[in-house]
Amino acid sequence: MAALTLYAHALDENCYRVRLMLSFLGLAYDTVAIDMVPGEEEKGLAMRALNPLGSLPVLKDGDQVFSGAQAILVHLARRNDPAGTWLPLEPAAFAAVMQWTFFSATALSSAIEARRLALFSQERDFYALRREARHALRIMDDHMVLRHMKGFEWFETDGPTIADLSLLPSFALSRDYGIDHDEFPALRRWLRRFRLLPGFHTMPGIPDYH
Amino acid sequence: MSGEADWVPVALSASIEPGTSAGAVVEGLELVVWRDDAGKAHVWEDRCPHRGMRMSFGFVRGDHIACLYHGWSYDAAGQCRHIPAHPDLDVPKTIRITTYDAGEAGGMIWARLAGAAETGHPPPDFGNTLPVRSLYADCSLAHALAVLKQTYLPGGKGKTVVGQLQAVAPHVWTLEGDALRLSIAIQVIGPQNVGLHILVNEGSKETIADVAQWAVALRLTLEAPVVLAEVM
Repeated sequence: MAALTLYAHALDENCYRVRLMLSFLGLAYDTVAIDMVPGEEEKGLAMRALNPLGSLPVLKDGDQVFSGAQAILVHLARRNDPAGTWLPLEPAAFAAVMQWTFFSATALSSAIEARRLALFSQERDFYALRREARHALRIMDDHMVLRHMKGFEWFETDGPTIADLSLLPSFALSRDYGIDHDEFPALRRWLRRFRLLPGFHTMPGIPDYH
Repeated sequence: MSGEADWVPVALSASIEPGTSAGAVVEGLELVVWRDDAGKAHVWEDRCPHRGMRMSFGFVRGDHIACLYHGWSYDAAGQCRHIPAHPDLDVPKTIRITTYDAGEAGGMIWARLAGAAETGHPPPDFGNTLPVRSLYADCSLAHALAVLKQTYLPGGKGKTVVGQLQAVAPHVWTLEGDALRLSIAIQVIGPQNVGLHILVNEGSKETIADVAQWAVALRLTLEAPVVLAEVM
């Protein structure tokens, strides 16, 4: 049994964020498939004992248990990437990377929620969420337009960080909640480069071929 | 009507890298804009005849584009050449995608869409330009032009000046300030959606980042609720 155990659902994009990080870092791990849809197993007693919030993903690293995709990314990067490639510790770069990493949990929460409603719910009132999600994607596209002009292909620093990793799934999966890639040329370019990183893999909703 | 009028802008050339595809909509018509590995741009109807999947989701290999669903692969003329589920099939000539004339000029990809006469005119070339960005906004073409007419441009050294808007070709306007000259090719996506493909003249390279920032503010202005009724 590997030291790392990931409790996850294959269609959940926050679980995908963690699976990408594990892959980029080349870490072996066990997966426990949780019946999130329709079973809501993550909200059951056994999972609540691990994570009282009843959300996925949950990562067990030895005796420690972490929940929340961004916290797990930070933990994995700090523990397994001593060079600080994915989470630079130089103060200015650290803050900038964390700014975008938090963006993936705040501004992009609309995107994540819109996709959840579009895929798994009968409720059709997700249009407000989709508008907010589009606004967040526009901010990202505007940022990458300027980054590209300065000769960079990534959100912060000159290589991919957890900022890129945490932001990418909501764009790559945006068609699931009805936002096409037409209006985001700079994000299309960024996604194409992200796909070429060693260890990248897709999830359902992200084409294998491109 | 001049032949140039038949060419509509669909993307900045720089936004479509070799071997990639993207979707574009012109007045409700869904298009795939793709560039083959040799660098030639193509504009087609965005629909695989097999299951109706958007070809802009597909993938480019050499001078073919293939549908993401079942891998049906089409040559540069839009003719289906290969169906993976029936590898030995001589694909019938009837399986093809509607293609449009595509051309590149002035840093833009242009298409001549359905109903356009084949006039032999090349797409409009408005000189040597550098791409800034494509800006998409939820407003009508008329509103976009009304705003552009009274818009301030970055004038250098913190100065701003009202730009002079001028139509220079069908779908193309220039906006000139003191030292700055923008070319804006406008793609009408729908009644309330436009794409502004923004370029600067070659002498204004150092202003590109300023213009990109300006464009973000422009989008806010274009989409701001109109407070006063526009009275004829």
